[in-house]
Amino acid sequence: MQNSENQEEIVRTSSTFDCGGRCPLRLHVKDGKIIRVETDDYEIEDEQLRACLRCRALRQYVYHPKRLKYPLKRDGPKGSGKFKRITWDEALSEIADKLKEVKQNHGNSSIFLAAGGAYLGALHDGMFAMIRLFTQFGGFSTHYGNVSSEGAVYATQTQYTSPFVGNSRTDLLNSKLIIMWGWDPARMISGSDTIYNLVKAKEKGIKIVCIDPRYTDSAVILADQWIPIVPGTDTAMMVAMAYIMITEQLHDKEFLAKYTVGFEKFAEYVLGKEDSIPKTPEWAESITTVPAETIRNLAREYATTKPAALMDCQGPARSAVGELYNRCAMTLTVMTGNVGRHGGSAAGGLMGIPYGHMFFSSRIPPPGRNPVEEGLKSVRGSLDLQLRFQARCHTNKIFDAILKGKKGGYPFDVKLAWFVNNNFLNQLGNTNKAADALKQLDYMVCSELWLTPTARYADIILPVTSIAEKNDFTRPWPSGPYFISNQKAIEPLGECKSDLRIAEELADKLEIDDFQKYPHELQALKFLIKLREDSRKNIRKIDEFRDAGIKRLKLDEPYIAFKKQVEDPDNNPFKTPSGKIEIFSQRIADLNDPENPPIPKYMERWEGRYDPLSEKYPLQLLSPHPKNRVHSELFLIEWLREVEPHVAWINPVDAEARNIKDEDEILVFNDRGKLMIKAWLTERIIPGVICIFEGAWYDPDENGIDRGGCVNTLTKDAYSPGGASALKSCLVEVKKFEGGA
Amino acid sequence: MQVGFYFDQTRCIGCFACAVACKDWHDIPAGSINWMRIKYNETGKFPDVFVSYLIKPCYHCEDPVCIPVCPVGAITKREEDGIVIVNSNKCLGNIDCDSKCLKACPYDAPQFSEEKGSKMSKCNYCLDRFLEQKLPICIEACRTHALDAGSLSHLKEKYGDIQEADNFIYSKRTKPAIILKPKK
Repeated sequence: MQNSENQEEIVRTSSTFDCGGRCPLRLHVKDGKIIRVETDDYEIEDEQLRACLRCRALRQYVYHPKRLKYPLKRDGPKGSGKFKRITWDEALSEIADKLKEVKQNHGNSSIFLAAGGAYLGALHDGMFAMIRLFTQFGGFSTHYGNVSSEGAVYATQTQYTSPFVGNSRTDLLNSKLIIMWGWDPARMISGSDTIYNLVKAKEKGIKIVCIDPRYTDSAVILADQWIPIVPGTDTAMMVAMAYIMITEQLHDKEFLAKYTVGFEKFAEYVLGKEDSIPKTPEWAESITTVPAETIRNLAREYATTKPAALMDCQGPARSAVGELYNRCAMTLTVMTGNVGRHGGSAAGGLMGIPYGHMFFSSRIPPPGRNPVEEGLKSVRGSLDLQLRFQARCHTNKIFDAILKGKKGGYPFDVKLAWFVNNNFLNQLGNTNKAADALKQLDYMVCSELWLTPTARYADIILPVTSIAEKNDFTRPWPSGPYFISNQKAIEPLGECKSDLRIAEELADKLEIDDFQKYPHELQALKFLIKLREDSRKNIRKIDEFRDAGIKRLKLDEPYIAFKKQVEDPDNNPFKTPSGKIEIFSQRIADLNDPENPPIPKYMERWEGRYDPLSEKYPLQLLSPHPKNRVHSELFLIEWLREVEPHVAWINPVDAEARNIKDEDEILVFNDRGKLMIKAWLTERIIPGVICIFEGAWYDPDENGIDRGGCVNTLTKDAYSPGGASALKSCLVEVKKFEGGA
Repeated sequence: MQVGFYFDQTRCIGCFACAVACKDWHDIPAGSINWMRIKYNETGKFPDVFVSYLIKPCYHCEDPVCIPVCPVGAITKREEDGIVIVNSNKCLGNIDCDSKCLKACPYDAPQFSEEKGSKMSKCNYCLDRFLEQKLPICIEACRTHALDAGSLSHLKEKYGDIQEADNFIYSKRTKPAIILKPKK
């Protein structure tokens, strides 16, 4: 960064938000201030990775008056939001004393690290900094399970044993039929170039079918056919499609024989030989409300149109039936022989390709294993989720674990928790319970840019720099192939520090003399680029990389997941125990858990449409990604807030039954909580379902009603047998808000 | 020469990237001044629903009706390119002249804040960028490449001469400089 006076400089970077895009940004900097934001200027205009509205508002994010700029100490009851400014020395000394005290009196397992993915740079990911520090301090307890994608992760590990199930987005244009199942890339940016490639596919004449409880903005421009479906019943429709394929002999027997195991067992289930219920389209209609004829036609069309891309995603898998949704989708893709082939799809929901992918992100290695987790049984290759919880709790159980500790069956009692990179109180299930847990917690530190609903409960808040204030190296996760170099545009605001620096300074206070420090960002970045083979090989000239802000990889042809395995299976077996795609999983059968079937199935678990609880709470609640935030990040940014008011989608049929009119204030409630929000009456949602976008900030009033409209006030802190955070299995009732409640 | 916009309504997902980019480029705070607006339309009954979005910047009409109604001549149309610009310093404000330009414009392009005495501002086709041979910021912001800009005759050649779209009425009186691909 050279920034002489009055001279406007362009600084290239990107956000490192927990977002499915990773878009090049050009920050205009003048007199040490960002004055404007532009996006990718790649000379091939058609391949530009254009930023969405979120990063268009980055300047307001960086300079927002509510950014935290100084260390804060609690100065009122927990959750009151009352804090006073203190110095860094005071803050870090107090934290160091508490850490030592907890270590001495309760042991290292009582130190809990709650780490999220709010910013994902190789160097400045707060989680990595804290893991290094706590490991060297003698260890810590933590959690397992990705809130976003664990259902899809478990499903892909089961059937393929690989998370790289995506094809290059350009390959969508090689398809003859695209089925978007629960997927709304117009809002949830699953790859910076995804929506544009879908537009091109559509304009090329490729038929697109959208299956979703909502007529999404993606469906608005893409769908030749919208098939509304009851949430949580996707698997019933998928299984019925399999029924049609099997009974009409439309399935690809050769592909199944060559590349898969367990199809016969699945077929027995589908045909009703296992439970005397043939999974006919009529059977599925009674569950999904999708007309049997529609299911029949789509099954035939999908089975006979080659190639065809069935695009599932992660959203419907964030439910009590979680992984089964992805497993059923993957089973359809192998039944139609679409795996490993151009224009096809392997499904599995994760969509990533192994070039420049976030999963390969380098990080400064921790100094050995976390001592608290030494000597545990290995989880390698196992699908036994319980093995993950030998020393950890599930991510969606963090607050339950804080509340109940060892008495509740958890492996630790939390005395001190450090929240970094997340707003978990707001973003995990059952926010009211989370608030109770944090009120009871002995001591809490939060590293943050904002006074989030989570941070309000902290004893000490440490202010962290934004991406504009630091150099970094980052990657996209769902779709590459490219690497991003983040250049520092401005000096840190106020007294903000990076997590890396915070850990280093705290290491001094904790008297960890041999803590490895990285005082020079650029040297550390060179080290991180060289640490991983893919970045080392592809980024030869680091200065050029930093000038360009991006390194695009040129592939000879679109990447296709499992192409090698399909073209030359003898030399490239799948990494499953059988070496084939496992429709039937012996590893799951061995777990002997009736809730976790070895073949993919339709199952009802809890808080679905047919749960008896629906008599009391008859509406299913969806909580998809918001379009104007990244989860709860960017919530305060006015340029984004004004784009879309925070409302609940409700079908007029459901609204009229409750005497609710458009824009009425409504109370949405169940046994876990109540929130107030305005109703938006729309025909774009299936009756019996309401939709509130996640990420609005929790703001309970004196009656316990969340005036902020945080959807997790209503969701459950539970997970599926595969570990999916079941935030979308949630029943509620709605009534007109009359004040009080 | 007359410049104009092209808008492919079949590609618009209503994401507002154009509108936020506009606010950032022109440094306009959140609130009632919106040089780029997006109009939403929903018709039909579940499950047969139709939805469209429509961009609403200033269409830089060939015969702008805002100009003659302005009592102080604050609005002008540039001869060389047809861009309609306002000199906000000259504008009397929303109280003294009762926002005559806004009342005249069939597309509500003139923008006033809610403050008393607020002076009019509106989309200026990113004149600063235009003078550097750059497209308006909204064009480059569009993730689905639904927008284009340039000389109107050029746009007509490239995209055809269609002035209809869902939720849009072409004003024969003002002749908005926009070429459309309608969503049906």
